[in-house]
Amino acid sequence: MTITDRTITAPEETLALPAGPAIAHRPLGIFTRPQGSEGWRSWLFTVDHKRIGIMYGAAALFFFLVGGAEALFIRLQLATPNGSVIGAGTYNGVFTMHGVTMVFLVIMPMAAAFANYLLPLQVGARDVAFPRLNAFSFWCFLAGGLLLTSSILVGGWFQNAPDGGWFAYAPNTGLLFSPSKGIDFYAVGLQILGIASLVSAINLIVTVLNMRTPGMSFFRMPVLTWMLLITQFLLLFALPVITVALFLLMFDRLWDANFFNVEAGADPLLWQHLFWIFGHPEVYILILPAFGIVSEIIPTFSRKPLFGYHFMVASGIAIGFMGWGVWAHHMFTSGVGPLSVAAFSVSTMFIAVPTGVKILNWLATMYRGRLRFTTPMLYAVGVVSMFTIGGLSGVTHAIAPSDTQQTDTYYIVAHFHYVIFGGALLGLFGGFYYWWPKAFGYKLSEAWGKASFWVMLIGFNFTFGPMHILGLQGMSRRIATYRADEGFALWNMVATIGAFVIAVGVAMFFWNVYVSTRNWRRAGRPDVGPDPWDARGLEWMTASPVPEHNFDEDIQVDRLDHFWHRKYGKDESGRVVRAAPTSEIAHDGSNTNVHLPSPSYWPIVLGGGILLVGYGIIYNLWLAAAGLVFLIGAIYGWILEPADDPDAAGHHDDHHDDDDGGDHGDPDSNGGPNGESASAETEEEATVG
Amino acid sequence: MSGRARGLVWLSSLLVIAGTIALIVVAIVVDKDHPLSTLSPVGRQGRDIAELINPIFIVAGVVFFLVQGAVLALWWRYRVAGSETGDGEYGYYDDDEFPDQTHGNNRLEIAWTIVPTVLLAVISVFTLVALFALDDVKASDEDITVTVIGQQWWWEYQYHLDGDTDTPPDFVTANELVIPVGVDVALDIKSRDVIHSFWIPKLNGKRDAVPGRSHDWVIQSEEPGRFRGQCTEFCGLSHGYMKMVAVALPTAEFHQWKNNQMTPAEAPAEGTPEGEGWATFSQQCASCHVVNGLTSAANRGGAADSPPDDWDIYGEHNGGSAGPVLTTELVAGAAPNLTHLMTRGTFAGSAFDLYLNAGDHIPYLELADSGTLNRGELEAWIYNAPQRKPADADDLRGMPARTGLSPDDIDDVVAFLSTLD
Repeated sequence: MTITDRTITAPEETLALPAGPAIAHRPLGIFTRPQGSEGWRSWLFTVDHKRIGIMYGAAALFFFLVGGAEALFIRLQLATPNGSVIGAGTYNGVFTMHGVTMVFLVIMPMAAAFANYLLPLQVGARDVAFPRLNAFSFWCFLAGGLLLTSSILVGGWFQNAPDGGWFAYAPNTGLLFSPSKGIDFYAVGLQILGIASLVSAINLIVTVLNMRTPGMSFFRMPVLTWMLLITQFLLLFALPVITVALFLLMFDRLWDANFFNVEAGADPLLWQHLFWIFGHPEVYILILPAFGIVSEIIPTFSRKPLFGYHFMVASGIAIGFMGWGVWAHHMFTSGVGPLSVAAFSVSTMFIAVPTGVKILNWLATMYRGRLRFTTPMLYAVGVVSMFTIGGLSGVTHAIAPSDTQQTDTYYIVAHFHYVIFGGALLGLFGGFYYWWPKAFGYKLSEAWGKASFWVMLIGFNFTFGPMHILGLQGMSRRIATYRADEGFALWNMVATIGAFVIAVGVAMFFWNVYVSTRNWRRAGRPDVGPDPWDARGLEWMTASPVPEHNFDEDIQVDRLDHFWHRKYGKDESGRVVRAAPTSEIAHDGSNTNVHLPSPSYWPIVLGGGILLVGYGIIYNLWLAAAGLVFLIGAIYGWILEPADDPDAAGHHDDHHDDDDGGDHGDPDSNGGPNGESASAETEEEATVG
Repeated sequence: MSGRARGLVWLSSLLVIAGTIALIVVAIVVDKDHPLSTLSPVGRQGRDIAELINPIFIVAGVVFFLVQGAVLALWWRYRVAGSETGDGEYGYYDDDEFPDQTHGNNRLEIAWTIVPTVLLAVISVFTLVALFALDDVKASDEDITVTVIGQQWWWEYQYHLDGDTDTPPDFVTANELVIPVGVDVALDIKSRDVIHSFWIPKLNGKRDAVPGRSHDWVIQSEEPGRFRGQCTEFCGLSHGYMKMVAVALPTAEFHQWKNNQMTPAEAPAEGTPEGEGWATFSQQCASCHVVNGLTSAANRGGAADSPPDDWDIYGEHNGGSAGPVLTTELVAGAAPNLTHLMTRGTFAGSAFDLYLNAGDHIPYLELADSGTLNRGELEAWIYNAPQRKPADADDLRGMPARTGLSPDDIDDVVAFLSTLD
């Protein structure tokens, strides 16, 4: 089905304004759109969900190195009693930045990388619903991430880093108790990151709801798509809560408001409620994408469909809902009253049920499968095993009386690292190995991948396993050091050694990326093929790396795991047999006549404006005003730029210039004259044809 | 890899796992030398919590072994050898053999939804019973109530021997909370600045000290002893150095201790080192530190006849004003009452030992007589406290340095402090 007879941008054409009546719509040169998909500049202006996904992943890995280095400093300081590697002041900044970095700048954007790259592919769409907004989400995220991370360096090494813990309890974050600029960086940086996640959440929700390929009903969507969709809904409702809290905190610190000022009659528990109403759904925001990834990997390497698909989806939804009713379990010792404690204790216990259902379904998927322990499979099974430990320790402190012994000790540190590292991060790394060939056209080395996995897993258990013991032996969290006679020395030393083993495992991952890329280039860049793992989802039905237009034509989906069922059928005896070779089913990326949204200058400019406003709020309101001008200019540029690319003069007029997404996704044109085509291209055909 | 080599790998990894678990079990069971351990509680509440959680640890352990065992068994049983490169038509598989394409089993799903639900329901019944029992804080047998006040970075204890927290306390002490053995002592936990958390792991769980709020808590010890504690809510710069000790004394000794605490200090004779030390102390230290009988409110810039302690930190009993009136002055100006400093085993938020050889063995009442004063640490502390324990003394958070004092001055101050027993 040919959509259009135009080619996409031709590199030799210039940005010059085309002659003709179109001039009236383009009063200034800046209101043209950039062109081309080659060179580093094309990455700055790209609106392609795949490139944005890759940039999210790269940025997350960069911040992962920053957060990991902070972790190593924590472990060095705690390796021995009366440690003096870094002082208490620096230590407080380091552990705060470690937490903030790992949560907001590593796990969340890594999940965003997969969401951006895979969601449109898995539902068979051309791109996300609002491509320019998608680019803006990334640049806004990067602005917030750089602003936060710069706090380490601004005004001296860790002089202005946030030092109130990632949870930033009032009133310790007030000016009186935290006089540096650190908490300002925290409040402003997280608000900027919140904007990025919120915009992205809306974008991805609309994409899943409106842009699925024909036949892709909700219960034909892959579990990863489901988990990412639930995650976006959690973000949509959780982020406004933390934004309110951060906004109040910012006003307290910068403009002498009294929201958390106890002297003026405030109750500091207000902050705790606001923070954890966000903070607990946040935990599921971190873990659900990894659950989705595991649910993709295990069936592929078990050669079986996912066991209990509907229950997997339902348990994800259940976690999404129940995640809102458990926040006060972070406050069992805060003095919320016995009735609240009882209610939240019980609700917290029962959230273990849907999580357990997931674990058991993964095991049932493996049962009687034909298991191939490739690197992604190792990571996925690692999640099943390690997350179970985190889940079980979670149940032990859902028991409120026992939580009064465990909360704010290393037992909790062990617990949430088993959840976030052993669950989320291992899952996301498995995702890297699994979808790497899809994104880049070659596989990462299996030998290095497996070695890296085992080193990481062993290091992980030696780091965080002993922390269970330390916590039960009474070691508190967030203490810069401990006395020699408190008996914590042994397991702290073991944990520190383990942390450096993890660092070796992570270094092996990066080395793997380097070596695999080099070997692939030396071998003449062989084609890995569309479906290197013999997998199930629609993303494997197009060439690797995925061409800019994703699919050569729309796919008519007729069941769950559509692609797999195109590859395999059953013979008379019920035995699974190959129905058609992958090469016949998968798209080869040859259809270059697909109309795609043009790149845009404005998302990155808008991100830069937000960065200026951020620094301005912290340091100088005139700078903020300048940033605001920048920002408003960028919004005007965004609105005024033509919806089409400049070489398509005369075609753009009937576009909806006021459409905030810009280029496609007008729901009214669904079910247009094309029959099968109900997604991205429909409008384009109306436009072009 | 050959079958034999695989077997060896499996065997050795199983041995490693078993060895690690054995090591951990030993580490937990042999719980000596861990003064903050929750695993060997001495207090009634701590034991109640342990009795609640220990069976749950066992249940969790069983589930742990079931799941990990299932993972390993599935791995062992269903793994297949295949292509090492994944370049074949079937990716990493060598063949086109497929297992049964099972999609699920509704009965199984319902079963493993209901079974854990029932299990957790049972656990939650026990939890709720224990929770409300532990929360049922009654006035103690001897009616002692201690107002526990957290501030950066030490603890103040105001003893209300009659249990009436509406009247000024009978005496005030710091960092070492002394209680009679076998008696539930009611605590009224408050904070002067940020949120802290009061935790003596061997006696009871923790309870936060939140500014503007009073939280009821209770501790009890079944045996005499010294029990370490640690502030467990992050409270700023020196959070790690904010510790405390609970000391449980047999009833007779407790009364002896209590009577001593109510005795004011006596001024040392002029001309002696102790007298010189008091002179220095009254100029340099008495604007924050109270020594009953010696310092007066005038030392702290107040009216000479006002009560000795700013005990009513929320202003609840001043009449007139409603609600908490925490002031910056209170946030900043508070310091431990030193009237009976030498009867404590630790100083500076229990970060340092006051006696070198005290251990947990010297009877508490004889510390001042039998212990060897940790003179070096005490002198270093007086000379430059922020260097020993990080503080933000410029903002009056923590004890400022007194680097202007000569070594002789400091010797004299220590001599004076040594009289405070």
